[in-house]
Amino acid sequence: MADKNGFFDLSKTAFTRRTALKGLAAGAGLAVAPGFVRYSQAQSSAPIKIGFQSHRTGIGAAYGRWYEKTTAAAIKAINAAGGINGRQVEVIIEDDGTDPGRGAEVVGKFATQHKTDIVFGTLFSHVVIGSAPAAGENKMPYFVVSEGHHVASTKLNRYVFQPGITDVKSQIQSMAPWIAANAGKKVTQIFPDFAFGYDHRDYLPPALKAQGAEVIAQIAIPPTESSFTKYFPQIPPETEVIYHVMVGPAVLTFVKELGEFYGSNRPQLFGFIDSLEATDINSPGLEFLDGSHFWEGSPRYAQPDDSEAQKAYRTAVGIDDNGAAVGDPKDVSTAAHMFGCWETLYVVKKAMEDAGYKGPEDRAKLVEATEALTAFAEGPEHPQGAKTFNGKIHQCFGIQNISKVEGGKLKVVHKTKIEDGLYEAEGDYTTQAL
Amino acid sequence: MSGRAEGGAVERCRRLLAVLSAALLFASPTPAFAHASDRGHVLLLPTGYYLIGGAFAVAVSFLVLALLPAASLDRFWHRRMMLFSLGDKARTAISLISFAGFAILVAAGLFGSRDPLSNPLPLVIWTLLWAGLTLLQGVFGGLWSWLNPWYGPWRLVTRLFSAGDEGARRLPGWIGCWPAVILFFAFAWFELIDPAPDDPARLAFAAGLYWLLTFLAMLVFGYPQWSRSGEFLTVFFSMVARFAPVEREEQGRLCLCWPGAKLLVAEPLPPSGIAFLLLALSSVSFDGLSKTFFWLGLFGINPLEFPGRTAVIGSGTFGLVLTFVLLAAVFLVAVWLGQRLAGSDQPLARAAGLLVWSIVPIALAYHVAHYLTALLVDGQYALASLSDPFALGWNLFGTADMQVEAGIVAGAESAWWLWNIQAGAIILGHVLAVLVAHGFAWRLHLQPARAALSQFPLTLLMIAYTVFGLWLLATPTVG
Repeated sequence: MADKNGFFDLSKTAFTRRTALKGLAAGAGLAVAPGFVRYSQAQSSAPIKIGFQSHRTGIGAAYGRWYEKTTAAAIKAINAAGGINGRQVEVIIEDDGTDPGRGAEVVGKFATQHKTDIVFGTLFSHVVIGSAPAAGENKMPYFVVSEGHHVASTKLNRYVFQPGITDVKSQIQSMAPWIAANAGKKVTQIFPDFAFGYDHRDYLPPALKAQGAEVIAQIAIPPTESSFTKYFPQIPPETEVIYHVMVGPAVLTFVKELGEFYGSNRPQLFGFIDSLEATDINSPGLEFLDGSHFWEGSPRYAQPDDSEAQKAYRTAVGIDDNGAAVGDPKDVSTAAHMFGCWETLYVVKKAMEDAGYKGPEDRAKLVEATEALTAFAEGPEHPQGAKTFNGKIHQCFGIQNISKVEGGKLKVVHKTKIEDGLYEAEGDYTTQAL
Repeated sequence: MSGRAEGGAVERCRRLLAVLSAALLFASPTPAFAHASDRGHVLLLPTGYYLIGGAFAVAVSFLVLALLPAASLDRFWHRRMMLFSLGDKARTAISLISFAGFAILVAAGLFGSRDPLSNPLPLVIWTLLWAGLTLLQGVFGGLWSWLNPWYGPWRLVTRLFSAGDEGARRLPGWIGCWPAVILFFAFAWFELIDPAPDDPARLAFAAGLYWLLTFLAMLVFGYPQWSRSGEFLTVFFSMVARFAPVEREEQGRLCLCWPGAKLLVAEPLPPSGIAFLLLALSSVSFDGLSKTFFWLGLFGINPLEFPGRTAVIGSGTFGLVLTFVLLAAVFLVAVWLGQRLAGSDQPLARAAGLLVWSIVPIALAYHVAHYLTALLVDGQYALASLSDPFALGWNLFGTADMQVEAGIVAGAESAWWLWNIQAGAIILGHVLAVLVAHGFAWRLHLQPARAALSQFPLTLLMIAYTVFGLWLLATPTVG
């Protein structure tokens, strides 16, 4: 269903979100579903089944909702263009409650009950880490969209892949050249005192040092804190850049109090949009962020130089120029991360086609075919940008966006190079037995 | 048998070890995404003033009531406006339709979509029935006695076999509604503590089994008896209906009354009824409490990296029981102290059994405040899911492709509105509770001064609970 420019024209297809995502009910329901006989007669025409381990409830639900929308849009596009290896793709959603314990159960259910071809779509790191052993035990290819460094660290197993979104180590590292050259050389970090903050605590200083800048103070804030004024005097006066990665409900309070502390005379501010994903940048309390900079995986706001692929992707997912749901402007998306679902599904498609994938008996072939991938060109399948893929560590590398808060929007002012985020591989999954 | 059980245990241990060792491997950096969430906007609101204002409003209503002559209030309470007569001929038919709908929903739970936001069973049970119907009961009165999925089938079966309404067995008097208390606790545990109450198949088994066991109990003990003693939803909904400003008299005539007026003519609840009402309030209170940074902090849990429901089953169960025990203890002490202050010789059981009715408006207020956002968003998912219950691409009611507008509860403006509605409900609920408690005080104590004095400790409890309720809505929470 690609048009003459090679982009998907979804308006001309009969597929709806529901036929893509809800089409496949529980196994028992399938027996009475129309079409069952057809599928059982010819396995080659049976749909490819993707188990979507989804954060439908729990603390990840806001992300989960947008991961679901993006996945639905991608599946609709893939099916409209003929599916994978000529077979339609169906998604079975199981809610993991954003709970590592249930995550492992859900992977087991996909393997033994639903007999899906792969499992896909997990965001929260602790759920990925909790579920990965089950994926390994069941020899179930597990494609996560988590952004964590856990896959690339090679501490999981051979069945776990992250081919559609870069990892946090790479993201942090690739921010350093721009910060050192444009924001300042003396950086103070403020981060929540747990694993998420520790990534930034540990990966930023060496990356900045390599650029001739330095971290002069690191302020760890207890996760349960809801007022921050008492921490601000710890910021050294010579600070040129405050690098902040606070998360949770108190982020707005943090920004507001930081603004009250500094007034109009502040150092440069640099943050990760993770702090404000799914939150309107124009919310009361965030005025102080005007003129500051953020990392964004994929830009929330439409940019003047957006590629046709980016425009088509945004239309397909249903986000407006402000990155909110079309028709529901207060429903702000998780644009910086959710593109990873779209791109991961196209990687799965490519790998299945390369492997000549026919069914669960070919899962090992799928793993090897995925490992053999090396690069993804920018285009309708990879609208966020070009990527390389390291099959040994199962991780992709790509460009990052640095955006400035300007006129109540996030305007991309710099795109990093893929090389900015490369690092030495920490291991090799391909040496593990399948 | 034991071999299998051991095998299962070993397997579980092995899995647990695998998960733990994987987690330990990553004791070092792992990202997590705690969404800034709409509670963030509430944190910027001047909620402290609301807490003080709420406490003040409840205290002032106590003082005003103490000064008002009992007779004038009594006349006020007893006003009724007649409407029209409503026969109950259709009750069996409506209940049978409801049963058919329930059976379809259970089938959808077993065979429909696995997605809890696409499958109608969890959305109907948790959102439309538990969150929504409770509010409708509070406004329109006894809808559940028409809508419940047992009355029709029971009526049909008893008529077919020419059995009487009363059933073959009598329950002993002491049993009260203790079975309903136990079942309500199980229900609350499933809703609040179980790792996956939204899982369609799990819920289908739980709901289907509960329907079946209840139906059998109704055949044995009779519908009227088991509805009063064992069917916890009927016990709960009929208590809530007592608050409603709609009354249906014996002859079927409908009339309007003041909200809460029907509570005042209620008979004292037995100890099991007292326990039931307090459990209803304490469980919804604990649901709020369990998500606060404060509660999670007590157990050393990082709320920004909440480990999920499977990790808090123990602390959750403990908290659910503890909240009930604390509320029951404080309530009984307040009633006892009040009786002592008034120099009353009435038995504590009677005083507590009457005054506990004043918990109903508070429980309703907590219900509104607690489930408002879920009702607004999941209610939309429910409407969409009902059009295609089996995920077969149907569009029965034309709602299958409706856009779910999650933005309705998002952003600073919505947060302001929601907070004000929730805070208003909590304060109003407590003011009404003070009013109802006063009505009972006059029934318990003939002298107005004694009646007012007897209410002093209970009013303090209600002021504290107002502040607690507002704090639950204002403090940082998970999700």
